[in-house]
Amino acid sequence: MPQRNDRVQDILILKMEGNPMKKKIVVFVLFSVMLISCFTNVSFAAEEVSSLRIGVTQEIDSLSPFLSWSISGDEIFMLIYDSLVRVDENLEPSPGLAESWKLSDDNLTWTFVLNDNAKWHDGKPVTAEDVKYSYEYIISSGLGMYAGGLEDISSVEAVDEKTVVIKTNEPKANMLMSNAPILPKHILETLTIEELETWPNDSPVGSGPFKFEELNVGGFLKLVKNEDYFKGSPNLDEIIFVVYANSDVMTQALKIGEIDAVVNFSASHLEELNSVPEIEAVSAVVQGFTELSFNCSKDLDSKGNKLLLDKNIRQAIEWAIDKQNIMDVVYYSQGEVGTTLVPPGDYYHYEPADELRSFNIEKANELLEEAGYKDIDQDGIREDINGNKLSFLFTLRSETPEEVKAGQMIAANVEKAGIELKIETVDDGVLIDKVYSQDFDMFIWGWGTALDPTVILNVMSTKEIGNLSDCNYSNEEYDGLLLEQQTIMDETERRKVVWEMQKILYDDAPYIILFYDNSLQGVRTDKWDGWTRVPEDGGYFFNLTYTNYMNVKPNIQTADAVSDSPQEQEKSGSSSTALIVAAVLLLAVVSAVLIKRKKNSTEDDDE
Amino acid sequence: MNRQYVLKKIIYSLITIFAVLVFNYFLFRVMPGNPLQILMRNPNASAEAIEKTKELFGLNKPAHIQFFIYIKSLFQGDLGTSFLYKGQPVTEVIGSRILPTLLMIGAAEILAIITGIFIGVISAWKRGTKIDIISLSFSLISYSMPTFWIGIVFVTIFCVQFRIFPTSGMMTPGLSYSSFMGKSLDVIKHLTLPVLTMSLVLIGQYALVMRSTLVDVLTEDYITTAHAKGFKEDYVIKKHAVPNAMLPMVTLIAINLGLVIAGAIQIETIFSWPGIGRLMYDAIKNRDYPLLQGIFLLVTISVIIANLLADLTYGYLDPRVKSRS
Repeated sequence: MPQRNDRVQDILILKMEGNPMKKKIVVFVLFSVMLISCFTNVSFAAEEVSSLRIGVTQEIDSLSPFLSWSISGDEIFMLIYDSLVRVDENLEPSPGLAESWKLSDDNLTWTFVLNDNAKWHDGKPVTAEDVKYSYEYIISSGLGMYAGGLEDISSVEAVDEKTVVIKTNEPKANMLMSNAPILPKHILETLTIEELETWPNDSPVGSGPFKFEELNVGGFLKLVKNEDYFKGSPNLDEIIFVVYANSDVMTQALKIGEIDAVVNFSASHLEELNSVPEIEAVSAVVQGFTELSFNCSKDLDSKGNKLLLDKNIRQAIEWAIDKQNIMDVVYYSQGEVGTTLVPPGDYYHYEPADELRSFNIEKANELLEEAGYKDIDQDGIREDINGNKLSFLFTLRSETPEEVKAGQMIAANVEKAGIELKIETVDDGVLIDKVYSQDFDMFIWGWGTALDPTVILNVMSTKEIGNLSDCNYSNEEYDGLLLEQQTIMDETERRKVVWEMQKILYDDAPYIILFYDNSLQGVRTDKWDGWTRVPEDGGYFFNLTYTNYMNVKPNIQTADAVSDSPQEQEKSGSSSTALIVAAVLLLAVVSAVLIKRKKNSTEDDDE
Repeated sequence: MNRQYVLKKIIYSLITIFAVLVFNYFLFRVMPGNPLQILMRNPNASAEAIEKTKELFGLNKPAHIQFFIYIKSLFQGDLGTSFLYKGQPVTEVIGSRILPTLLMIGAAEILAIITGIFIGVISAWKRGTKIDIISLSFSLISYSMPTFWIGIVFVTIFCVQFRIFPTSGMMTPGLSYSSFMGKSLDVIKHLTLPVLTMSLVLIGQYALVMRSTLVDVLTEDYITTAHAKGFKEDYVIKKHAVPNAMLPMVTLIAINLGLVIAGAIQIETIFSWPGIGRLMYDAIKNRDYPLLQGIFLLVTISVIIANLLADLTYGYLDPRVKSRS
């Protein structure tokens, strides 16, 4: 018996010696397994800081507040920098960098007193000179999205270290609504004015509650908390904005806890997310709308259909559109049917009463009949007295499938009133060209509005034709009121004028405000505590305030859950290790077989 | 003779690159879209500010001057500044995306080439048997499946159900690595699904082409001769048939290599991979001429280089190609 055992062993040894390749493979596999298991541990060791991961679909376009033109930019600058005044949870002005402010009796001189403890992230104190330098640069260059809010400021003076005096020629009702960030003078002054125009601001130094840590273009942006923030340090350690190119995948990532929050997911996922107990998904009211814009240009060069200059046709189209149905079908009812330019929920919103044009196809037909548009040749499309058909080109944006769907439904609606809409779908760039060359009849697009109604009201003014105006609307009375409302310091009085302006627009109908569509946001409540919607029916993020970034904290109550997640990570880590090991083993077996084959064939060759 | 052949091929390639360069430059300017409007989304843009921006991006000069400036700076390695990524040099913007693209596409190509050829060879060798039918149907299905759909299915299975792999990105965002190895492993985990998705489509293509050429080759006289000499089947396949069947494969691989640099948009979108494809899409959407030109230049050069390599490999694989030219 022992003999036999020895023989087996001998054979084994022989075999091993006979095939050195196999030995190498065994060693290789063992080595790989060791190596891999040791990497796995390393990569999961760093899970201790509380980092809030927010999935977004739009990436920041520039880290320089002078160059950025995106909502993401605005949100991130709000965290890195301070503005003189911030917005609180009730969307009222509250102290930012300025601790207090007062306005002179003639409403022309503003005095801001800065917070004593405000410091730049590099340790230097924030002074009135920084404010002066930043404001003056933004005003004189006119660059970036913050320049508009500082319009009409005539001078900015630093009276002492901590006091800034801002003078205006006319009263400036929206002074406290500007969120222009204050940048450090000691960094800006190392650059020439020209250099600032292309300044990438690769490592922003601000005074805000979060410090910039890393930007990985196409990947993520990471901020870490500023321990020395003068209004108290945030409750969480880091914020990471993760960029997703596909919002469906982003939603899945929230579901499995890879990220802690998502912004702007598709309405079709709302129910799915709400069925997960650890997730709170909300349909948030945001300041903005989706509109149908007509080419109202009276310019002779305009290539728009001149029939659309008759407001009867524009109004008839609005009567004919079943907005509620489109809202339900395309947006899963997440939003409200649109009426006027300033969204509801805003103090300045005007709600049409008797003149409201809600879906009524008879009214549409009646209006067109009265205005003399009849279907003479019986082809289903009305003509004017000269025989011109009421047939228009309807441009839709390929970027948003929702708008394309809505456009198709509108075309079907309007057909019943004897108006033909020919749909063409283009990308944003093409539409922008069409708008500027006034070569369009009508299209669908949207606007985001700001706290200050001036921003959106301005879009419809005559001076913006060829610039921000995308309907080429012009009305002298409206232009006059636009200037007037900016100078009325009394809110109620100002609102009267703003209402009057919206009434004019509603009557003229250069825009049909289709929907006030909501922003869909979701957060995980198992890992994080203290989520607040701002305002009450608003969202967690992109709501003009930094409330949630400051207050949200890792969930202590479910400490088990927190310690659970690394375990879960570990589990997934080890299972993927197992997978990799399996792959390596498979590879080894395959190569062993191949080598054996090769050996065999070489032997054959020798034969 | 040999040197002359290589030299000739290289010169041809250079001429092609230049021609495409000229063509691209003017093509972008004939296309609709005014970049200035996208740059200046400034509600209070004065005439001076518009003029300033034009000057900043060189838009105020006539087209032919812009062209010569472009050619000149090209030779200095300067591709201009991106409109979209405000003021960042195009070389930097593209540079940051090259490595991720090459990593994903390189891995997918290698995996697809090895597996595809392997399946193709097995399939041709065992033609008519069950193995052939199985691998042929696998190849046909994988070749015809929509990439986007496979990607989503993989996410649902591997990320949501089994939670083995992360859904997107190239690295776990914001994780600080204690070692290079830790970082590599994180990248590999993120890399797995995009690579699998991408190679699945390529495998089908490669396997089908490999199988059909090899089946052709196997009916040639010299294969019969080899059999007659008494060589074993697998030896004949490996030494006599496969090398001759490789020629069409080289062409196919070369074409794919050149194109995939730009052609992985779908996969990059599903997995949010920071590659060139997505960058190109963004550049088109935003009328970012300099960036687009840069990407097109890169794609052109890679297609041409891949073709050059194919030509040279041809010469190596089949000496007749060399002597004929």
